[in-house]
Amino acid sequence: MSETRFKTLRDTPLEDYLTPGSPLCAGCGGQLGLRIFHKVLGRNVVFVNAAGCLTLMFVYPYAPLRSSWMYTAFASAPAGAQGIRDALDILLAKHRIEPDEDLKVVVVTGDGAAYDIGLQATSGAIQRGLDFYYFVYDNEAYGNTGFQWSSATPVGSSTTTTPSSRFSPAGSLAEKKDLFEIWRAHKPPYVATVSVAHAVDMMRKIERSMGMRGPKLFIALAPCPTGWGFDPSEAIRIAKLAVETGVWPLKEAINGETRHTYIPRALRPVEEYLKTQARFAHLFKPKKQQEIINMIQERVNEYWLRVAEAEGITIKLATEVK
Amino acid sequence: MIEISGHNIIIALTIHYVDEPMLLKVRFHGRGGHGVKTASRILGEAAFNEGLYAQDSPIYGAERRGAPVAAFTRISDEEILERGFIFDPDIVVVMDETLLNDWSAKPLDGLKPGGIAFVNTTANSQLYDYGETIRENLVIYDLTGLALKIIGKPIISTPSAAAASKITGIISESSLIDAVTSELSEIGVGDDVIENNIILAREVFRSIPETPPSTKLSDSKRELIPLEVVISYPGYEDIVSVGNSPLRKTGNWRVFKPIVDFSRCTACGVCFVYCPDAAITLRSDGKPEIDYDNCKGCLICYRECPPRAISIEREVRVW
Ligand code: SF4
Ligand code: SF4
Ligand code: SF4
Repeated sequence: MSETRFKTLRDTPLEDYLTPGSPLCAGCGGQLGLRIFHKVLGRNVVFVNAAGCLTLMFVYPYAPLRSSWMYTAFASAPAGAQGIRDALDILLAKHRIEPDEDLKVVVVTGDGAAYDIGLQATSGAIQRGLDFYYFVYDNEAYGNTGFQWSSATPVGSSTTTTPSSRFSPAGSLAEKKDLFEIWRAHKPPYVATVSVAHAVDMMRKIERSMGMRGPKLFIALAPCPTGWGFDPSEAIRIAKLAVETGVWPLKEAINGETRHTYIPRALRPVEEYLKTQARFAHLFKPKKQQEIINMIQERVNEYWLRVAEAEGITIKLATEVK
Repeated sequence: MIEISGHNIIIALTIHYVDEPMLLKVRFHGRGGHGVKTASRILGEAAFNEGLYAQDSPIYGAERRGAPVAAFTRISDEEILERGFIFDPDIVVVMDETLLNDWSAKPLDGLKPGGIAFVNTTANSQLYDYGETIRENLVIYDLTGLALKIIGKPIISTPSAAAASKITGIISESSLIDAVTSELSEIGVGDDVIENNIILAREVFRSIPETPPSTKLSDSKRELIPLEVVISYPGYEDIVSVGNSPLRKTGNWRVFKPIVDFSRCTACGVCFVYCPDAAITLRSDGKPEIDYDNCKGCLICYRECPPRAISIEREVRVW
């Protein structure tokens, strides 16, 4: 691996381009992700955003970023990014702006736009080789409108549209869509999953991608105190637990070749993660739904066994595999 | 009349009953996450339990938890034909005192002469410098303190509804308790939490005096009560500047304030990295400086600080 600026948390850039006083919830994991992302990319950035919580960062007359922000329709953030990239390229070609005035074009959306509504525009942009970054803050539901189900919602989560009920005690039973694999199948130069609780891993990944031309895509698990139902102070702990239980693997794919960037020494039981959030509370109360918890655990086990085989590593699972 | 008992102080009360057909309009102001909508629903249902007509509705801006929100309850002994926002309340319930000088909330706007302002605050009458500017009758009580004590969380829908119910003078304790139980179970609150909310509701209901507003229907023409507290509106310079969000001053959202003990701080920078709001900067010695004007009090820094050099203190009032 090439040299990195980011060895420990102390290497986090001091400069902030996010300013305090945004209207987002206290303890918002998505906003923390954006803050760190911006720190590493530096000042010369233009964001293209589609509807989601982070859209509300800009409620007139206040703006919490020192960079530019463009808002597009739900389905079309990557198309907006194409337009801006083309305009910048034309200005560069005509020497109307200097190379050091060039901007990095960054799409930032929630999982609603990334996994559902804007997926085809993203597919097109990746396929065209658009030189841009995509940062998804994945809070696993439509958080902005009150936490409705999205195709990023994991098995066992209740949302306002998939509540735990007599007919479906487990909440949502649909598989979470594997956006990493969908993106990777396009063979872009860079795709990664990141976690706000693993800031060093995240900063290194952004750094690594910065030398590449073409689509550079990041999916951040974004703990959402409001939608997931936990005290805002727990946001980092919960993000860590997602990684330590193996629910949220940290990985990257360079030109389609996948590698896991962090292998937990021994996976903790998924139950420890599920227990921390009200969206999974029905799995424990009034009656423990052990079959669903086991099912979630088995999926995690299967995933990591495949990883161990593919990458030739050893992994200690949380439970015995039959 | 000034009466001081425990946390609650009542200033200058005049009690008149309304002789015309009654339409009582109550407006709740709080922040997203306080339970503003639920408060208005509980009040409406409590009135309904009394055999009255009731109507309630919330209004949210586009913003998230912490942003100002309002909700309206109308109560009448006749069918209620009026709809929409309440511009001329008989009672306003200010669930967060810092909203009093927030230009986007203006909770006392339109309060009728003779109407009642209820303010959730820890302040006592001496400290309470809004006292003179609220011309109308004022009832104050530390709902948040009591909620923290009894349910362990600063969610104040139930006690706000209890305060409003008592102030109206037309709602009985049992109607209130029935409403608390049914509204909270409807939104999926567990039985143990409902029990605690009932204790909380009873405590507030019993401590707050009955202070029905003396407004009459004929007074209901909209009148703006000038607020003498200083409200700073954003000006042109603010609007065009880049990164102007610190002017929003989200420090008012805090319930607890993180405080750094510099003798224990090892300058590790963890709090700085994980603050989602960039409310922490590092000084030249690597130790944190918290922007209290904007720290929202998420307490991630407190939770994550490796040597536990950050402690917390209940926030009383930021400005
Ligand atoms: S709802 Fe969740 S994702 Fe949206 S602003 Fe609040 S914490 Fe962040
Ligand atoms: S409480 Fe939250 S917002 Fe305030 S300084 Fe700590 S991490 Fe930042
Ligand atoms: S996390 Fe604690 S020890 Fe580290 S810099 Fe912050 S206050 Fe100091």
